[in-house]
Amino acid sequence: MGEPAIAVHGLRKRFGAKEAVAGIDLEIAAGSFAGLVGPNGAGKTTSLSMMTGLLRPDDGRVLINGINVWADPPAAKAIIGVVPAEAQLFERLSGAELLEYAGRLRGLPAAEARSRAAQLLDVLDLTADAKRLTADYSTGMRKKAALGCALIHNPAVLFLDEPLEGVDPVSADVIRRLLSDYTESGSTVLFSSHVMELVEQVCDHVSIIDKGHIVATGTLDEVRGGKTLQRAFIDLVGPRASEGEGLSWLGSSSS
Amino acid sequence: MAWLLVQLKLRLLTNALRSSTRAKSSFILSTTCAALVAVGTFTGLALLRGQSTSVDVTAVVFTLFAFGWLTLPLLAFGLDGTLDPATLALYPLRTRPLAVGLLAASAAGAWPLANVLGLLGTTVGLASSALGVVIAVVAVLLEVLFCITLARFVTTGMANVLRSRRGRDFAAFLFIPIVVLYETFTQVVPRLAANGQLTTSSFSGVDAWLRWLPPGLAAHAIQDASTGHPGTALLRLALLAAVIVALGWLWVRALGRALVTADTSTGSSRVRGRGLPFGRYGLRGTVAARFWIYQRRDPTALIFWGITAVIMMAVSVSAIVGQNKSPGVLIASAVFGAAFVGVFHANMVGWTGPPFVLEASALSGRRSLRAYLSGQNLAHGAIAVPLLIVISFGIALLTRHPAYGFLGAAVDLAGIGAALALGNIFTVTDPFPIEKRAGSPVRTTAAGYGSYGAGSTFGNLFGVALLCVPVIVAVALTSHVAASVRMPVLIVCAAGYGLALAWAGVRIAAIAAAQRLPEMAQMALLSKL
Repeated sequence: MGEPAIAVHGLRKRFGAKEAVAGIDLEIAAGSFAGLVGPNGAGKTTSLSMMTGLLRPDDGRVLINGINVWADPPAAKAIIGVVPAEAQLFERLSGAELLEYAGRLRGLPAAEARSRAAQLLDVLDLTADAKRLTADYSTGMRKKAALGCALIHNPAVLFLDEPLEGVDPVSADVIRRLLSDYTESGSTVLFSSHVMELVEQVCDHVSIIDKGHIVATGTLDEVRGGKTLQRAFIDLVGPRASEGEGLSWLGSSSS
Repeated sequence: MAWLLVQLKLRLLTNALRSSTRAKSSFILSTTCAALVAVGTFTGLALLRGQSTSVDVTAVVFTLFAFGWLTLPLLAFGLDGTLDPATLALYPLRTRPLAVGLLAASAAGAWPLANVLGLLGTTVGLASSALGVVIAVVAVLLEVLFCITLARFVTTGMANVLRSRRGRDFAAFLFIPIVVLYETFTQVVPRLAANGQLTTSSFSGVDAWLRWLPPGLAAHAIQDASTGHPGTALLRLALLAAVIVALGWLWVRALGRALVTADTSTGSSRVRGRGLPFGRYGLRGTVAARFWIYQRRDPTALIFWGITAVIMMAVSVSAIVGQNKSPGVLIASAVFGAAFVGVFHANMVGWTGPPFVLEASALSGRRSLRAYLSGQNLAHGAIAVPLLIVISFGIALLTRHPAYGFLGAAVDLAGIGAALALGNIFTVTDPFPIEKRAGSPVRTTAAGYGSYGAGSTFGNLFGVALLCVPVIVAVALTSHVAASVRMPVLIVCAAGYGLALAWAGVRIAAIAAAQRLPEMAQMALLSKL
């Protein structure tokens, strides 16, 4: 394996008494479609924020294509794209204006940014809504617009936090296909999710994070070890709910 | 049903006392204000006793209360869970008992009680016989019932609109007339009254048309009963009661419709134009384009500019309506106007909120941050400079000293430069999250960050005033020089000084931002807009 697209060493972050990320190590090869999975509060968003230069780590090193994110932020930011979890957009811009803005922020000439924005809106099936304010977009449309913003400068590595959370199946399929095409060209995707079926469908590399620790990492087959990813995940992070005891009344239509 | 909804309302109010410190202090402040309004209104109305215009003033007060009930629930829509019919649409409730219950819930609370107690001042100020007092009590109760029914009808009829983005934007704009009213009552009315330009006789004849509105009917019924015309008084009250019944009927119909009508909040608007402007001006032009668009499309930005204009006018009231025509008032107005430009733009990270992450993930290094900050300043300055200068000249014209407008303009230019510089520095060094309470169109400093907000506000107010001192001193020291020579030099020097301040602010803020960008992004993510 050559130089990894994403290399994380000893990444650590503490919020008060809580250690959100407890010194994780991770290596993702270029061209991978990698998933970072874990239960709520496991440290997925915190880890991705530190990898993308948006949250200062207490300790550790993040290299993107060999560039240290925290030593040379301008060089690192130039080659990454980020889709945050909530996909909160500039609500008073239209979809077309938003993507053009993202492109121009990344240093693209205005005409090029406008042209790429139009192409991305077309691929993302947003052309008909390109002139609508993003404030009026549905969750799926917002996720697609956020993805367009992250891709417009053609980054080498793309980070997505819960990219398909709350997205309808049609929009999810559009996003999946676009990301698959993107990785097939040699670019790298790392996305966080707790939807195991999705990770199983699209990822070739999986890391499971729990309580701030990476508890398993490797190819999809290595991590699931002959089971479904859902089963392997549950076995690793443990059952979290009771078996429905104490709700004996539930399901009865008598009262 | 009525008792259940009254209990719900009382439970919501008492829960406010048990929740966050902020909710608790808001509740205590609101209750204290209600008590003050009750005492003040009662006293004010009682003092009208024996005055020839007492009925005119009473009619005006009754009308103002109705106006308050009409507008404030639109602003507070969503804060009161009983106002939005959608919150009750899922329950198997019939419309009529629900309407009675909602009406009873509206009547519960400190403000309706304060309204009744305050308006009962008419029993002393306007009523002059036993019958007059009885009619006054009935008239006050009907007036408050009219106010509540009116408020319910309007909020229910507009519920779908108020839930939509456009409706929320519209409701936010109501903040400006409320600020205008506040400034009018706290600045203009006391000064006019002190100058003898506003007395009770000023209201003589204003009820020529107010008397035909429901609040006027209530006021005149008391007058009629007190002057020996009980038949006319009862007729007026009957007419008022008929209006309330009609409004109630309309409200029940609107409620019935609202309970089964689909939410229209998905309605959307399309924008015109081919794309972002200023394409050829690099990153600075890109950022300026985004902020320029927001100045037009974001109600918050428009409210900021509106309030800045109101504040400048309010500071100049003594010069406009009073005897103090000195240029000092106009200069003070310019300083305050500029300072509020800084106050409103000193936390652009918090006001931008989570979308700032898009900018933070693209920006890095002092150079790009300088372009980002100066792009913001260009958009804000392009509005602040003409707005403040026009207001300064407007105030100068109103004070009948148009030449003073140049002095105000000089301070405006220096002050805006100072405000932009301080705004940039504060937004980088002390950003704080902004939040919007559910259903409220107005955004405020997030809970727990009050000291940041106060520090930023006072820092800008004092900082801008301090940085304007050289220009104010220059204005004072050159007062003996001929205006034709003095004014152009003052304006040019003040503009140069303002530009230098803004330039320095951008450079200082960019140095700090290069070190603090991740912290700024995390603060932006805490905003809930």
